[in-house]
Amino acid sequence: MIPACPLAAVSTGMHADFATVLIFILFGVFFGLLALGIARLLRPHNPHPEKLVTYECGELPQGSAWVRFNVRFYLIALFFIVFDVEVIFLYPWAVVFRQLAAAPGLGLLALLEMLLFLAILVVGLAYVWAKGDLDWVKSLTARPAGEEVAGE
Amino acid sequence: MFETLALNAPSWSDLRHFVPETVLVVTFLLALMADLFARGRRPAGPFALALGGCLVALAAAVSSLPAGPRSILGDLVVVDGLAGFFRVLFPLIGAITILFSWASGEIMGPRREHKGEFYALVALMAFGMCVMASAADLIMLYLSVELVSLTSYVMAGYMRTSLRSTEASLKYVIFGSVSSGVMLYGLSLLFGLTGETTFVEIRAALLAGRADNFALLVAMVFVLAGLGYKIAAVPFHFWCPDVYEGAPTPVTALFSVGPKAAGFALMIRFFYTTLLSPGGGQAAAGAAAPDGVIVGPADWPLLIAILSVVTMTYGNLVALRQTNVKRLLAYSSIAHVGYLLMGFLMLTAAGLEAILFYLLVYAIMNLGAFLFVIALNNRLGGEEISDYAGLSTRAPWVALMMMVFLLSLTGLPPTAGFIGKMYLFAEVINRHWFWLAVVGALNSVVSLFYYMKIAKAMYFTPGERAPLRLEPLHTAVLILLAAPTLALGVYWTPFKNFVDRAVAGFAGLGG
Amino acid sequence: MSGDLAFYGFAALTVLSAFYVVFSRNIVHAGFSLLFTLFGVAGLYAMLAADFLAATQVIVYIGGVLVLILFTVMMTRIPRRGAGGRGLDRFVPAGVFALLLFALLYKVITGTPWAEKAPVSADPTTARLGASFLTDFVFPFEFVSLILLAAMIGAAILIRDRRPAADDGAGGAAAPTGEEERS
Repeated sequence: MIPACPLAAVSTGMHADFATVLIFILFGVFFGLLALGIARLLRPHNPHPEKLVTYECGELPQGSAWVRFNVRFYLIALFFIVFDVEVIFLYPWAVVFRQLAAAPGLGLLALLEMLLFLAILVVGLAYVWAKGDLDWVKSLTARPAGEEVAGE
Repeated sequence: MFETLALNAPSWSDLRHFVPETVLVVTFLLALMADLFARGRRPAGPFALALGGCLVALAAAVSSLPAGPRSILGDLVVVDGLAGFFRVLFPLIGAITILFSWASGEIMGPRREHKGEFYALVALMAFGMCVMASAADLIMLYLSVELVSLTSYVMAGYMRTSLRSTEASLKYVIFGSVSSGVMLYGLSLLFGLTGETTFVEIRAALLAGRADNFALLVAMVFVLAGLGYKIAAVPFHFWCPDVYEGAPTPVTALFSVGPKAAGFALMIRFFYTTLLSPGGGQAAAGAAAPDGVIVGPADWPLLIAILSVVTMTYGNLVALRQTNVKRLLAYSSIAHVGYLLMGFLMLTAAGLEAILFYLLVYAIMNLGAFLFVIALNNRLGGEEISDYAGLSTRAPWVALMMMVFLLSLTGLPPTAGFIGKMYLFAEVINRHWFWLAVVGALNSVVSLFYYMKIAKAMYFTPGERAPLRLEPLHTAVLILLAAPTLALGVYWTPFKNFVDRAVAGFAGLGG
Repeated sequence: MSGDLAFYGFAALTVLSAFYVVFSRNIVHAGFSLLFTLFGVAGLYAMLAADFLAATQVIVYIGGVLVLILFTVMMTRIPRRGAGGRGLDRFVPAGVFALLLFALLYKVITGTPWAEKAPVSADPTTARLGASFLTDFVFPFEFVSLILLAAMIGAAILIRDRRPAADDGAGGAAAPTGEEERS
């Protein structure tokens, strides 16, 4: 058997905090299901294939919603992740910075270290900006015909 | 709920022992910025900056060869003889790559979109490889491997409009991420076993009684899978031929020496520090004993020996059937990893010296062979063996220089490759691994056949007769590489001394 | 015990949804199922008193990587229901390999005297992490930003969808490159 997780038994402050989060999630799921369940009990039951059609402002939907995305979404999403991770690294720094600033000689250093971290990534930002990777509308006329993609 | 934090001052002043690496990082950033201002068809700014940066790093590395081991940057990095050797080697490889890429149609051709970035990435990769060679902690090990891998993926897919190149990049990414995941799992097992992340501390914990168990063996094999991927040892080589063939040839040249040497550096440091305890000593036992006491699974050198034999045999046998020179050189580079692994499992200072010397020689001759492929690809537009027919009449000097590289790769005198192989085999025989030496020798004979296939095409197959003139830059760098390949075969003492000093200052073997 | 209950709940969530990811024939559904796998892992982290890691798991993996994966799925090709049969010839070796690997890891996990440190305090780890980033581990910390930068440039180089305006046929020094240029 898997040995019981030794930490699971500890119920100090942090676990209590996470328990709150868990309870919130459980309640969220519960209320969602509750609303659907009650609706199912109360509503009249009258299935019709028209009802399953995707709602598009009253128009008949054309084709599938699963269309091919423009590769640009992907690029932006990748940049987003890079900066997402950067923010993750900023967060512990922000939590601890006040304490570090109190320590003699460390405060300025902590600031500079984070500035260096950010500066390196700003180089990346400057790079993708200057190279036009952040421009959403790229001279559409320059695009060869027949390369139309959905999602624009 | 604030707790009091134990704060140590960060070790920024340690950077003064880390000058070549710092130079390379600054070079990378500057070259990247310069690329944003580059105008015209050829990005002279990034090129000059990256080349200059590599040369400055090289000069800094040569002028500050570390005497003994010194742990810096919070004990995460150790600068010792081994690191000193590799921080000379990597900027050198970087500078040569940058030089011959400048005239390569695959990188600088009119249809290529991204040009300046390439030089910046070479500098970044050189930095990553230097850190690989000096990582003394699991964290730095993993981060540096990732940095080198990431830059490799980008470079492999550099020719975005070429299907082959894109495929190469994709294969590299998939195999790379799997093996990196496996390695990470192995590292986490190691951490779980010992509770430490620094190599030295891991060894101490293993010596304190956590050494002999199954989990350590599994962890070792997993880490070996990750590093074996970097050096392209069989059975972790699957990506290698396709990536080498698909990537632009200058990138292939860089891959075939750079990450490979860095992988070896990391393997040497990691295994010799965590799984080998200094102090067995040559004095105590006979000639057959290693220079250290093996910690952990007692027969891991045998495991590496099997890996070595499989690697060199597979590489050589498959290389026999290749007609594409890039693929041929890819398989031959797998075979060379097999030879190098022979030196690795000796666990002796002499074995290490042989590895380092061979790596140096291998870098020069293999870069030379690939440069030949690049230079001719620029002119002939292909890299099949048959493309080189009649080259001895079209460009006699170029054919002759390629002949030197081929002889050296085979390990025939009077070339540097012969001396390198001599040191390797001498040590293998000294330590009574006779069967390994026999297999290695047989493999060298096999390799003669396929290297000579190229020579035969150049010298004995009639082809076009019109004289062929290469890019002047390519000819110059070819000479720059062919000269030491010959010279080191005749007079190699200074380089051997350089290598010996590096090994003497290596922290792992009690240096 | 509530702790054990939560552990088995998260473990079951992780494993079952992971099975769905692997076995689902609809790649979009598999992607969405991954959400629950990642969330379950975040829960396990939280139970191991790795609060920062749990938060990171949610923010980066669920908020970022999962979105990216779904984009990728949408980008590659329009998924068709039940398309692409998975033959037994591939399923069997993969299954055997997975089982062998599991047996190996099971033996390692259960049969090893792990180095147990003193009981880990369940205090928040974020402040301690932040202090480590800025003092003892400042070098890896800055190194990470280089890796992120490399990733960013790499992403831009590999998937930027601009066509070069340089198809001018000027030729110049490098005429033939001997590659199959296709777009």
